[in-house]
Amino acid sequence: MKRFSSSLLVASSIACAAVASAASRPHYGGTLRVQMRDTPQVLDPASFSSPACRSLWRLVFETLVELDQHGRPQPLLSASWQSEPGNQRWRFLVRSGVLFHGGEALEAAAVVASLRNGNPEWKVLQDRDTVVIETNSPDPDVPAKLALARNAIARPEGGHLGGTGPFAITEWVAGRRLRLAANPTYRGGQPFLQAIDVEFGKAERDQLMALDLGNADVAEIAPEDIARARAQNRRVLDSLPGELMALVFAHDARAPGEALVRSALPFILDRRAMSDVVLQGGGEPADALLPNWLSGYAFVFSSAANAAPARQPRPETPQGSPLLLAYDGSDPVSETIAQRILLNARDRGVAIQIASSSGSSDVRLMRVPLASMAAPVALDELARSLGLARPPSTTSSIADLYSAEKAMLESGRLIPLLELRTAVALGPAVNGWSMLPDGTRGLENVWLVRERP
Amino acid sequence: MGLRWGKKRPVSEENMAAVRHTSLIAGSYGRLLFCALILLSQPALASDWREPETQLAEEIVHVNGPGVISLEINNRSSISAAAVEEIRRALVSLLASRGVRVWLADQATSDVKIFFSENLENYVWVAEIRQGSGDLRVVLVSSPRSRPTPTGGNLTPLRIEVSALISQPSPILDAAIVEGRPQRLIVLGRTVVALYEFRQGRWAVFETLPIHTTNPLPRDLRGRIILRRDHLFDAYLPGLTCRSTASTALSITCLPGDEAWPIETADTGVSAFFSRTQNFFTGALVPGIGKQTTAPAFYCAARIPQPNYTLWLFTGVEGEINILDGVNHEVMRGVGWGSDIAGTRASCRSDRQVLVTSPASEGADSLEAYGLSNGTPVPLSQKLSLSGPVTALWTAQNGDSVTAVYRNLQTGDYEAVQLKLACSQ
Repeated sequence: MKRFSSSLLVASSIACAAVASAASRPHYGGTLRVQMRDTPQVLDPASFSSPACRSLWRLVFETLVELDQHGRPQPLLSASWQSEPGNQRWRFLVRSGVLFHGGEALEAAAVVASLRNGNPEWKVLQDRDTVVIETNSPDPDVPAKLALARNAIARPEGGHLGGTGPFAITEWVAGRRLRLAANPTYRGGQPFLQAIDVEFGKAERDQLMALDLGNADVAEIAPEDIARARAQNRRVLDSLPGELMALVFAHDARAPGEALVRSALPFILDRRAMSDVVLQGGGEPADALLPNWLSGYAFVFSSAANAAPARQPRPETPQGSPLLLAYDGSDPVSETIAQRILLNARDRGVAIQIASSSGSSDVRLMRVPLASMAAPVALDELARSLGLARPPSTTSSIADLYSAEKAMLESGRLIPLLELRTAVALGPAVNGWSMLPDGTRGLENVWLVRERP
Repeated sequence: MGLRWGKKRPVSEENMAAVRHTSLIAGSYGRLLFCALILLSQPALASDWREPETQLAEEIVHVNGPGVISLEINNRSSISAAAVEEIRRALVSLLASRGVRVWLADQATSDVKIFFSENLENYVWVAEIRQGSGDLRVVLVSSPRSRPTPTGGNLTPLRIEVSALISQPSPILDAAIVEGRPQRLIVLGRTVVALYEFRQGRWAVFETLPIHTTNPLPRDLRGRIILRRDHLFDAYLPGLTCRSTASTALSITCLPGDEAWPIETADTGVSAFFSRTQNFFTGALVPGIGKQTTAPAFYCAARIPQPNYTLWLFTGVEGEINILDGVNHEVMRGVGWGSDIAGTRASCRSDRQVLVTSPASEGADSLEAYGLSNGTPVPLSQKLSLSGPVTALWTAQNGDSVTAVYRNLQTGDYEAVQLKLACSQ
């Protein structure tokens, strides 16, 4: 009995080995091959600041709390939490039934030990299956802070740190290689991938070559190459502009002339040309510390800055005292922007020189990734990274956040230049990859469809 | 973070679009659709903005004091132009009631610029206030952002009608409507079965039944609710079957095991075994389709009865469509269907159709109705674009509608909707 018509077989013959990705359910198995520019030397969540590294540690280590895509705290290793009136004492109930990769059960004692390491300013106590956190002053953002990388819960296992996440470490060569294997008993379900191989220390152009040759599934793209990669019809995923590039002064101005130069610099530096020409749209000019998509008010600082140039006198650099600028020489983006800063300054008669060492510099060109998608915590961490004091606030209101950021900008210790995007190019086999607005990659739900030979 | 106000959602263009879309819908789902319409249209009320309007007006008055101001409005948010105009009018009125009059700039003692902006979670309203040549003062308030809803395509020759059921942050594996007075809705989640009643124009939860399991559930978790005649329902999860009691004091008992799940509806009499640790049916069929007791491992199945036999479509884990008729097995590739399909029937037609997922854009999916003509899939509707990927698609108990769940990429919430095919005019 033949019940199928020939036209059906015609449809069948339009063979296509790969399947549509978005509407397809995930496949299990396979090894994801990742290359990264970073060269982490220590497998310690507290040292992972870049979005790329944070994305890796999230696979291995978990926190009491995680942030959802709106930056709102959600339970992870904590089943619930509550604060006492005044937001100075918090209680987090540790989730039961969670196992470390080595098989030991997660207990409050391990959580306390991890949190004490990363937060010397907190008093962290155990009360049976509850972790109690006491802060020196009212802090409404403790739950969001617990989602930071440095608050990952880890314990020593077989020579390195073990976590509770969906992947376990099977090989680690500092600065060179990391191999992760799926945790089949993970409480959130076995990961789709069987393993993830990560090679560190690869320049972006080498990564793209590996992607093209089929030797990698994911390649990072430098901000200035994002537009080109799209023009080449690559599968590009990029973040919103969020990584702050700023000039950070090592000390307060020591002479009136230096103070004048500092106040004039924001109007001398052509940030629009840096973003549009030098970085080819891989960044946006920044007048604020937090991007507008995170704060909602960054444009207020832009309008204030744009109103000011007319009132600025032409700066005069004191004779014999050029500003000494330092930057990370191993970072091509920093090098390119530093050269543009020198060019802009020279055009306006301001003397800036490259410092021979960072220790002797007056000002550093720094890149600081967003540490959190909760705006108050992101601002806190930014202040911590830049060595600035963040004015204390007792609420999480938008007005308090604005006031704190305004005070930091008015400290005269830094000049925001750009907000950079981060981006990756994906190979044809990769599905389920997601990227949060801050550039953190969602690797936990990635799955592969390899073309059949 | 930020301030939170009230429970009503502010108006947005998406909400308005949803209202326009749902207002086109008619048919046997009248009451449900009407209620969905009410729910969707509520945010369009101008009064939704009352709290932020009041707070911003009070902040401006606090900084400026009574007097005459000029007012400039800048919209940097997704709030519609019409809504912005309504807000402006309301602000002018609120300011006037507090002694601040809005007038021409050359006669004003203060210039006030208001910006409507937004961040990840909230709308952020900013007022820049400059009194004469004094310093710029800035006040800010925030308000939770709204969520978009699916938008439908045009309607020939079949159209996909959408009825919103529920929305929640945690995954929804399946939802089944129990007809009666009042109407009830059973929602299967990862760790709980929730029961809702339709009262006063909305679904309200009245009972939750926890699901206890000691084994980890798979990552791309799937589950099914099957309504029963001798008790309320069975819930199927990978490696776990839960049965409700028949008594009025409702409870469920969950037992580990590999009981086969009914495919499409319980009335087809065909069941299939589901993988304990992954996200697909193994392919073993009980009792089978005609002489065929196995199919390649598959995600979903749908049947399309023919005059003398029934064709079964299975979306295979390798991306292929397997077609079984009880004797033959054909493989169809390259039709661009996604993993999820569900059988249904348009009220105006005697044959059955399938609703099929396909990739749309930016990680979102769309749904489209297909029929079979001489064994060839034929699209019967325009695509219904969803705001995220479909995570569940099951034929409803009566076989005439489909329950779809998608994850809204903008809100992160899981949205359950009921879909029905209707004929275009």
